[in-house]
Amino acid sequence: MPEGAGPGLRSGQAEPASPARVGLAERLTEQRYRLFPDHVVGEILAKGWVDNATPFAFLLIVLALFGSLIPDFFSGASLVASARQLGEFGCVVIGQTIVLVGGGIDLSVGSSFALGNIVALMCINLAGLPAWAAFGCTLAASGAVGLLNGVLVGYLRLRAFLTTLVTLIIVRAVVDVLLLHEAVPISMGNSNSAVWDWLGDATVAGVPFSLIVWLVLIVGGHIILSRTRPGWHVMAVGGSRRSAHNAGISVRRTVCATYVIAGLLTGLSAFLFAARLGSTGSETGSGLELSVLTAAILGGNSLGGGRGSMAKALMGSITVLAITNGVVRLGLHAGAGPLVLGLFLLLAIVVDVRWLKNRHKILSKVYISPAYQRLAPPASAAADAGTPYAMNDKLADVEVLGLDRVDGPEDVIFDRNDHMYTGSRHGDIHRFLAPDYTRHEVFAHIGGFPLGMAFDRDDNLLVCVGGMGLYRVRPDRVVEKVTDETNRSRLSINDDTRLRLADDLDIAPDGKIYFSEATTRYEMNTWPVDALEARGNGRLICYDPARGSTRTILRGLRFPNGICLAHDGQSFLFAQTWACSISRYWIAGPKAGTTELVIANLPGHPDNINRASDGTYWLALVGMRSPVVDLSLRMPGFRRRMARRVAADEWLYPNINIGCVVKIDDGGQVLDALWDRHGRNHPMITSMREHRGYLYLGGILNNRVGRYRIPGADPDWTGIGSYWGARA
Amino acid sequence: MRLRHFLTALAAFGLTLAAASAQTADQYKGKTVAFVPVALGYDLEDGWSAILKHQADKLGYTYEVRNPNLNSDVGAQAISQLITEKPTVLVIQNPDVQVYSRLIKKAEKAGIHVIQINMKSVAPSDYFVGADYVQLGQQAADMMVQKCGAGSGKSGKIAIVQGVLTAAASVLQMQGIDAVLSKHPDIKVVSNQAADWDSSKARAIMQTVVQQNPDLCGVVGFWDSMDVGTGSAIREAGKAAQVFLVTSGGGSDTACTNIDNGTFGAELSYDVPRQGSDMNKDILAAMTAGPAPDADKVTQITPLKVLSKETIGTTGCWTLKQLQAAAG
Repeated sequence: MPEGAGPGLRSGQAEPASPARVGLAERLTEQRYRLFPDHVVGEILAKGWVDNATPFAFLLIVLALFGSLIPDFFSGASLVASARQLGEFGCVVIGQTIVLVGGGIDLSVGSSFALGNIVALMCINLAGLPAWAAFGCTLAASGAVGLLNGVLVGYLRLRAFLTTLVTLIIVRAVVDVLLLHEAVPISMGNSNSAVWDWLGDATVAGVPFSLIVWLVLIVGGHIILSRTRPGWHVMAVGGSRRSAHNAGISVRRTVCATYVIAGLLTGLSAFLFAARLGSTGSETGSGLELSVLTAAILGGNSLGGGRGSMAKALMGSITVLAITNGVVRLGLHAGAGPLVLGLFLLLAIVVDVRWLKNRHKILSKVYISPAYQRLAPPASAAADAGTPYAMNDKLADVEVLGLDRVDGPEDVIFDRNDHMYTGSRHGDIHRFLAPDYTRHEVFAHIGGFPLGMAFDRDDNLLVCVGGMGLYRVRPDRVVEKVTDETNRSRLSINDDTRLRLADDLDIAPDGKIYFSEATTRYEMNTWPVDALEARGNGRLICYDPARGSTRTILRGLRFPNGICLAHDGQSFLFAQTWACSISRYWIAGPKAGTTELVIANLPGHPDNINRASDGTYWLALVGMRSPVVDLSLRMPGFRRRMARRVAADEWLYPNINIGCVVKIDDGGQVLDALWDRHGRNHPMITSMREHRGYLYLGGILNNRVGRYRIPGADPDWTGIGSYWGARA
Repeated sequence: MRLRHFLTALAAFGLTLAAASAQTADQYKGKTVAFVPVALGYDLEDGWSAILKHQADKLGYTYEVRNPNLNSDVGAQAISQLITEKPTVLVIQNPDVQVYSRLIKKAEKAGIHVIQINMKSVAPSDYFVGADYVQLGQQAADMMVQKCGAGSGKSGKIAIVQGVLTAAASVLQMQGIDAVLSKHPDIKVVSNQAADWDSSKARAIMQTVVQQNPDLCGVVGFWDSMDVGTGSAIREAGKAAQVFLVTSGGGSDTACTNIDNGTFGAELSYDVPRQGSDMNKDILAAMTAGPAPDADKVTQITPLKVLSKETIGTTGCWTLKQLQAAAG
């Protein structure tokens, strides 16, 4: 538990078994899982930036290697000399990275670079243009090469590899023709531009100008690629052209733009290069495409597109330049440089391919990280046990409503006109019309999986939507987002600001909405896996409508689920499904802000809690505990091996095939239990709602809503009335 | 006969050694000579490097070589790097007249003695050792006039295969050629292209030229290692007897072999062992000259030798092995 082992967790933990029965080995196990946050490994591997770890390690190895082989590799002057070249080289790598991220490849950068170089020199040395005009011409020339690539690859849909290979050759030929006629005059000519002369050797506060340009581009490029619409478009197109097209992105224009950008950046680089060296050599830019590609791939940008960043371009550029310069400084023989570079490129491609292929496998093996949990043996629920949980057949002949019309009514609720609302797996909220609930309609479409529901003072239906957050459906059916994020925990590795699995909510008298998020480590479709971890991955969150703010109030809860405002409005009762406990969180009175345990060691896994008409509460037990699962909770290593070695459908899960409804009072006394022992109608119950003398039963895996007549219940009592009073 | 050639080379070493032994050997300790060629792996550069290394080993100073492998950007980077490392002497072979000029000035300003070998930059430095390429061009053109010009009964058509266009060797040689040919309208240059010191490029160029001009009479190639390609294209076309190829280079055994087998008609040779010992002398001078480079520029022009079937018997060629053996 990195942090937030709040009062919720401590009080939420079940009572430990008597110490005598826990051996030393198990105590050590308990401490080991308490102290070492295993789940961090999986969360780090799940991070986007973990792709950078390999290239970064590579960079460090290369720097360490050459740093130890070459005496003053890291001396200041030596670094400045390399940095100037790095700036120019890096600009081209940025362009290549953008093309790669967009799903393409640009081999023509070498020729485009040579073209830019000679155009710049012709402008300065022959035409005598001022530096800015020469800059414009250079960008235009290299940009035109990019545009040609872009039109061919983006609009005419030619293969990027072959197309840019052809432009590489064509543009190189153009450069050769230009060189034949202009090279000697250029090398004899002289610039009369002071800016040009300055550019060639410029430093700003000791830092080479080209390096500054590059770093600015890296930062700007990072913001564009990761934070803006055009950048996301490039990412999306590279990730999957079809999906991007279906999402309404102009794939052709985006692809074309990446090549134009690469061309412009190549032009910029060529301009700086021309100013530095004034060289018209025909070897200018030859082989550049290889080293640029090596840099981009070595940095960790994927050849397949959709994965890449400026940080990777940065690391790759430094690595490749360190290698090329290092090889030269070691005085190795001809061909050694390209050879070493080629080997590194090969290695980078292997790592890229293998990593992409295996990353999710490794992740799926290590992401699940069970923790230690010890639950005392529960009270028996056997029919003849004599406990309040004893099995019976009270729910055997419940009335079935909406059979096959709803899929997954996790929660059920009624409005002031007695209409019944439930969610469904398809992202709809269904309304069954009073009085007989045979007619039904889709009340609103939300999109995620609607879970817990509550009406507020103004008859708005508030819904926790799995995968989306907290939503509000107004009586006129308009759907509004209430909140989908909360404050981030300081030390969490997973970004826990987004709500992954908002589960159930209730509303305080002052209008604040308290809701549970079952887990921050799993999504709506994988929530049962959270049971395997038995770690406090969930939290309780409060949305304050007055300030529009969302804050996490309790962390480290073990799958917090149902939440219900007590009848006196002073506290909330909430259930922790995997901890098999009910706790109370005080919002008013002397104990405000504290949590206390109400029921520990339930025989089943609690789900929703709702008010009953007689001042008590209904509690759904979604499944019953079993001794095997209880034992496995004390053996985290066993569960980890199971998760790694056995197929997911063979895992040992808590039993959620049979459950019941129990009635509890404010003091935690269990008063009654309602069972469907044969499991014909309602084997699994996730929620129940009392309304006008009946109890309506929902289940997240059911295709129906059950209706049970409660003997002796107040036939006029309604939930909404109990919260907000009868309407005037 | 080759032995005599070697004896002269050894005598040159001996001279430098004698000059050196007058000083205490310690005076060279801790000093460094760095060499940035255009590329290693060719007779020219490897020959120079062997000779430079030999003296360094004898006198106890450090010798290192940085190989840009035909990439002037890498070379510029290597020189920038060396400027920060401050060797005593920097030996540079310029890939073109412009590219290192700023760096040469910078190096000299930093107190490093710069020797430019064979190919000059527009920026002059303390020392230059090398051939007079203008004269070399004139001699080559004279040969063309003699073999193909009026009175020879040939077509008068010649081709020129340059190296890197902006390299001093190309620029200056063209000046020499132009000076001669301007007086000889009977010689017609049918092709003047750059093969960038690359023999496969030269071969590709010459294959086309020979097809387009079946009556080609002569070719001026700018470097023997490259013109191995030029010559093979001519021989492939079956024109070895008709086309006279004159090239230039360091006069290693490559030259002799190719003259022997008729690939080259003649080679204008600047003597690599001699250039090496000239550089070694300059290095000693620079090392004893004190901290600041001399204001005087020292230029040592390597005399040209004409290698042809008639002369190789007497002058001979050198091999790298012999140079290394003599040095080692």
